[in-house]
Amino acid sequence: MDRAVIHLNVADFAVSVERLIDAQLRGRPVIVAPGDTRAAVYDMSDEAFRAGVRKGMSLARAVRICRRAVVLPPRPSRYEQAMTAVCRLARPFSPLIESGGNDGHLFVDVTASGRYLGPPVDMAWRMQREIRRRLDLDPIWAVASNKLTAKAATRTVKPAGEAIVGGGEEADFLAPLPLGLLPGITPSDLVRFRDFNFDRVADAQALDADQMQVAFGRRGRIFHDLVRGVDPSPVAHMNQRPPRVAAAHAFGGDTNDDRILDAALYGLVETAGTALRERRMTARRIGVILDYADGVRCARRQASAVGTADDPALYALARGAFGLARIRRVRICHMSLVCDRLVFPSGQMSLFDDGGSLRQARLGAALDAIRRRFGRDAVRMGRTLPV
Amino acid sequence: MSGRACEIFVGTSGYSYPEWTGAGFYPPGMKQREMLAFYAGRFAAVELNFTWYQMPKADALDRMRGQVPPSFLFAVKLNRTLTHEVSPGEWPENARRFREGIAPLVQSGQLGAVLVQLPPFFHRTPDRRRYLANLLEALDGLPLAVEFRHASWAAEAAAEKVAASLAARRIALVAVDAPRLPGLYPPVPPAPVGRIIPPAFFYLRLHGRNAAGWRSGVMQRQFDYDYSEAELREWTEARIPAMVDRAARGFVFFNNHVRGQAPRNAEALAALLVARGLSCKPPPGRFSPCGLSEELPWTGPSST
Repeated sequence: MDRAVIHLNVADFAVSVERLIDAQLRGRPVIVAPGDTRAAVYDMSDEAFRAGVRKGMSLARAVRICRRAVVLPPRPSRYEQAMTAVCRLARPFSPLIESGGNDGHLFVDVTASGRYLGPPVDMAWRMQREIRRRLDLDPIWAVASNKLTAKAATRTVKPAGEAIVGGGEEADFLAPLPLGLLPGITPSDLVRFRDFNFDRVADAQALDADQMQVAFGRRGRIFHDLVRGVDPSPVAHMNQRPPRVAAAHAFGGDTNDDRILDAALYGLVETAGTALRERRMTARRIGVILDYADGVRCARRQASAVGTADDPALYALARGAFGLARIRRVRICHMSLVCDRLVFPSGQMSLFDDGGSLRQARLGAALDAIRRRFGRDAVRMGRTLPV
Repeated sequence: MSGRACEIFVGTSGYSYPEWTGAGFYPPGMKQREMLAFYAGRFAAVELNFTWYQMPKADALDRMRGQVPPSFLFAVKLNRTLTHEVSPGEWPENARRFREGIAPLVQSGQLGAVLVQLPPFFHRTPDRRRYLANLLEALDGLPLAVEFRHASWAAEAAAEKVAASLAARRIALVAVDAPRLPGLYPPVPPAPVGRIIPPAFFYLRLHGRNAAGWRSGVMQRQFDYDYSEAELREWTEARIPAMVDRAARGFVFFNNHVRGQAPRNAEALAALLVARGLSCKPPPGRFSPCGLSEELPWTGPSST
């Protein structure tokens, strides 16, 4: 039996929540970002988006582009509260509810609910109606046979609307879309596809599994399924722990040597980054847990508005969390790194990138390829070498 | 108009229900993408209700059209942005998008009807009458069928005016079979329509008579009903023959989809129509997975 997965997406979630609190923000361009002008844009309204503001852009640049914008600091607790309320309204329809974080995205698997609650499209519409009525939020929705296709479908109707993709129609539905719209395709993947002159999903669908593997190596198999809308990944149970990637390092002897600690931290970042890239996911939060030699444990986290799987970006976050966790002079015996708030990467390329992040992504992909073929230690960053 | 000249298309409201596999209508293991072709081997028409939820898209309908024989007809339910969730500034654009979406069916001659189902809260007020007139004008040229669900449209003072107004535009007034509950539009046939100008076609929807579940807000309860043969005969003995006398074509759709009751009742009704000598359109093609074919109970010489 075909599965029925609903994807709900409250577009510009943070802005939508802020507008619930302050109705005067409606119709005005709004940017959510920390007050520091060096900070990155966390979210923006459709008006600001149309003016050219993008997530991850520096606030200073965003304000120059959209001078009329109201800038608000992110208030994660409010977004979490709103997301909990959205999940609560989806709960009567299925226990299989997966949220990527407090970002307005929700997957609901209603395959088994249809017998009692009606056709999936009707459930999706009723969820939307309840969320509108009770929370005054207006989610986009899509119904498809898996998470990948449902998410791609909501991207096609953003900022408002709905989409239904019948079971077996996934490949036909995806065919005319730009490759960048597919969840799981990163900017560096896009560059590789463009090397082959592939812009649309249909271009990539022309390759069979073997041809895809020749062109893209091991990831070819993944791309082969991706462009055909094949995604067997389940929707997690509501009470299930959210997906995460973790890595740990035990020090042979307790240490507080900065170079040794930094080398270990970067090694953990590399391990986690590789795992994220293999799963075609990005992390929006990193936690570092330090176990001190006297038995005290300290855990701290750093979040980012934009998901990443690139080692330098992950390291920057991890370094921030490490700095917060290393608050004692006592030696450290164990260090763990946890990446969570996993989301599909955005294929959209930055309009304002100087090419650095793209080069970094390509370097990361090259390092992954070397390690897959010759082993993990075949190539190493200097900072991870023994002191 | 003679009854034999009117071809009756019997089918169901929607076809893509996984539970119909368990109910024995679809073979075990049948994929969703195979259902329409199989359905077209059993019925000559289908009422598409997903278009109420989602604005129809030309490429999707064109793909569906390609899965059925050319003589198979589609009735398409009007999108909710034009009936239940109307935005004053946006509906004309939505009407245009709807027309664009169903264009493949118009071009191939497979559009049987557009069902304009109005919500229960759509009372007969001057504003709503004006909106309905404008909407029908925007959809002019399409084979329209209007389903009212509030009793005010059938009130004594209004019924004849409403019927005459629709008939003048050659728009069918939908006949419904539903529970007898206060406030609901009553079952028809709407006699004044036929007496004034014959409509191009008649349109009957059988929702089931589950009075207890009707206002539950859950489709699986609202449309959980199995018609008895006696109840089907209420339609085949008198009401449908009366409509056949006035129309060139007729559509009968069962909306009691729960547990596969709709296709079962539809086949039973079709057999009764054939037995009564009415011209019931047979399914255009037989579906024969692995060389298996199934004799249908209601395809007889009178249906050709």
